[in-house]
Amino acid sequence: VPSEHSPSPAGISRHSASLCILADTREICSGPEVLSCLRAGHGLRVQVCSLGSSDYIVSNRLAVDRVLQSELQSPGNRNKLSQRLQRLQGIFERICVILETDRVRPGETSRCFQRTQHYDGVLSALVQAGIRILFSSCQEETAALLKELALLEHRKDAAIQVPTEPEGHGRDVLNFYLSIPNLSYGAALNLCHSFGSITAVANSSVPALAAGARLSRPQAEELHRFLRHDFDPQLLPQPLPAKGK
Amino acid sequence: PVTAGSIVVPLGHVIGNEKWRGSELAQRLQGKVRLIFEDGLGLVDFHLPNRTCILLISEADLVAGDEFKRRLVKFRNASSLRGIVIVEKTPISDQYYPGVQKLVVLELGMVLLPVANQGEASQLIIQLVREQSRDRGSNPFVGRQRGRPAEPAVLQALQRIPGVGRTKALLLLQRFGSIHRLCNADTQELEQAVGQTVAQQIYTF
Repeated sequence: VPSEHSPSPAGISRHSASLCILADTREICSGPEVLSCLRAGHGLRVQVCSLGSSDYIVSNRLAVDRVLQSELQSPGNRNKLSQRLQRLQGIFERICVILETDRVRPGETSRCFQRTQHYDGVLSALVQAGIRILFSSCQEETAALLKELALLEHRKDAAIQVPTEPEGHGRDVLNFYLSIPNLSYGAALNLCHSFGSITAVANSSVPALAAGARLSRPQAEELHRFLRHDFDPQLLPQPLPAKGK
Repeated sequence: PVTAGSIVVPLGHVIGNEKWRGSELAQRLQGKVRLIFEDGLGLVDFHLPNRTCILLISEADLVAGDEFKRRLVKFRNASSLRGIVIVEKTPISDQYYPGVQKLVVLELGMVLLPVANQGEASQLIIQLVREQSRDRGSNPFVGRQRGRPAEPAVLQALQRIPGVGRTKALLLLQRFGSIHRLCNADTQELEQAVGQTVAQQIYTF
């Protein structure tokens, strides 16, 4: 299937034109320049969709979160960030955080970046957890880093290479796959593409699921278990007593 | 070139390259971590616990050219230890940072952390040592496996089938038990659980 042609400036190889990155809808507001640089500057195919989990998905196994430096400065944000990254670790094999310098608003004299002990502590914990960290000074640089990551993953044969916009019935099937816990958006797309129907997925062996959805072995096992999980209504959470509406 | 490779550094200790003796960095580390100097560490500046090494790149190294790159590549090829590169990122060396980051993180697969000066480097090393002495379970970024029941998720997945809401999803699951068996049910079996129209919808889905 020939990929759609996006207008790409001269000098960019067909290689990068076929590269695809999935971006979360939130990034339209919080990182508009990242998106436009990826598209116009680097000629990448950027598909904006409701990822929910991470800001960007760069390959079948790599998720990237954009974090502002100020978010690491004070302890207040740590819980939110750690919950987010823990969830990502259940879904993706590899996680990268791009730490971006906050933008200086017009009229604001450049704020001095105060390096706190808390900041160093968070960095150390990220390193220890095996999360890759990249530093960026602005949205343009973040876009360049995302492109480098996508290229690298492409070289390692992990790039997203399936159509990213199923239509009609395919859309419904995608939504079904997306409701499976710990299954990434990319894996759901791969399932849509590699299997003719949900029944074909449900009847597949673990190795066939791993190959078709481009999942690691443990992830494929988890998916396999989920599809064959015997439902026990007793284990449903009891509806909370209605609070006065 | 990398010696002390087999050294087991006790928790809370740092083994420093002799060349750092008396430096501002060493002075700030002393008292916070147990710092021991040793000769002949080769390429490495500091050895931390848990098979981790620190390689420092100063502002001067960055400006001077590619010598530091050869040092990093040599380390990467010679050692199976984990390398953390700490680089002095100042207004002068700022312009070189993206290139260094590309080499260290993307090509060599090592960790790169920028600091503004030796004082910041010492604070960072102290935190790295503390983090490594800590129990891995207390790391807020290490994912924990939670044994959550799959029931709510299975129920939600079924509701993504057109024509199926919560009530019908429950009926279907009570009859078929799993998504796998539901997929392999024929129209007649489905009709016994839900109405004819919905049964057809599910079957074609």
